[in-house]
Amino acid sequence: MAGSVSLDFAGAHEETTLESALTLDRFLASVERRAFRIAQMAVRDRDEALDIVQGAMLRLARGYARRPSEEWKPLFYRILYNGIRDWQRRSTVRSRIFGFLPGQRADVDDDGPQEDPIERVASGDPEPSQQLMAAEAMEHLEAALAELPARQQQAFTLRCLEGLDVADTAAAMGCSEGSVKTHYFRALHTLRDKLTEVW
Amino acid sequence: MSNDERWTETERRARELFDASVDGLDGETLSRLNRARHAALAEVDHARRSPWRAWLPAAAAASVAMLAVVLWRMPGDSTDRSAASAEGTPAAEVVELLATSEGIDVASEDPEFYAWLATRDEPPVPNGAG
Repeated sequence: MAGSVSLDFAGAHEETTLESALTLDRFLASVERRAFRIAQMAVRDRDEALDIVQGAMLRLARGYARRPSEEWKPLFYRILYNGIRDWQRRSTVRSRIFGFLPGQRADVDDDGPQEDPIERVASGDPEPSQQLMAAEAMEHLEAALAELPARQQQAFTLRCLEGLDVADTAAAMGCSEGSVKTHYFRALHTLRDKLTEVW
Repeated sequence: MSNDERWTETERRARELFDASVDGLDGETLSRLNRARHAALAEVDHARRSPWRAWLPAAAAASVAMLAVVLWRMPGDSTDRSAASAEGTPAAEVVELLATSEGIDVASEDPEFYAWLATRDEPPVPNGAG
C-alpha cells in the first residue's frame, strides 16, 4: 500500500518534471532566435553570439529551471546580457594585450570581415530590392544602437525590439522601472534623430 | 508630424526591421540554436535522473582517503615496519599513490590495480635479515 502510494508519488513527480522540461523547451524555442540576434548585434560575430546564447540557455536550465516560468524571460535576458558583458570585457582585454604587439590587430575577427547585408537577405521572400533596403536599414539601426551607452542599448533592445514590459525590462537590467524609462527615452530620442534621415 | 508620432514610427520601424532579421536567419544558425537548446535541456534531464552524480567526485575522494587510512593503520610487526620503511612499505607506497590524482584515476578506472595491490601484501625482506 505504502509502496503504491510512493510509486504514485514518484510517477506524479516524473510527470511534473517532464512537463516542466517541455515548458522550458517551449520557452527557449520562443526566445532563441531573438536572443541570438540581440547577441549578434552586440558582439557583431555570429559564432560568438551563438556561444553566448548557448551559455545563457545552459545557465538558465541549470540554475533557474525550477523557478516559475513567468520569471524565465527577464532572468534569461539578464543572463544573456551578463554573457555579452563578459565577452565585451574579454574582448577589451584582448585588444589591449594585442595592441602592444606589432603587426597584430585584435579588433579584426579571425572569422573575416563583417557580414555583408546582402548575404543576410533571406532568399525566396518578397522583392530582393526590398529585402536589400531592409537589410541596409537594419545595418543603420545596428550602427546607431552600437553608438548608444550600454544601458540605453539594453533598454531599447529589451523594451522595443524584444517587447518586454517596463517591469520585466527592469528585472532583466537589474535596475528600477524609473531608470528603464529614462534610458529608453534617451535611446529613442537619439535613435530618432539619427535614423529619421536614413530610413 | 509631431514628436510623439515620429517616435512611434521609429519604434515601429525598428521592431519591424528586427523581426525581419530574425525571420531571415539562415538554416545553419537555426540548426545550431536548436542543438544548443537540446544541450541545455539534456543537462537538466541528466541532473534530474542522476542527482548523485554531483556528489561523485567528493565520494571518490572520501573513499580514497578512507582506503589510505585503513592501509596506513594495517596491523603488522613494528620491527618489520620500521625496517621496511627504509625501502618504503607497500602501505606507504599505496598511500603515496592514492594521494595523487593519478592514484585516484587508477583506483577508479583500473580494476587490475587491486589485483596488483594483492600481490604487494608481503613486506619486502630487509637487507641482512636473512
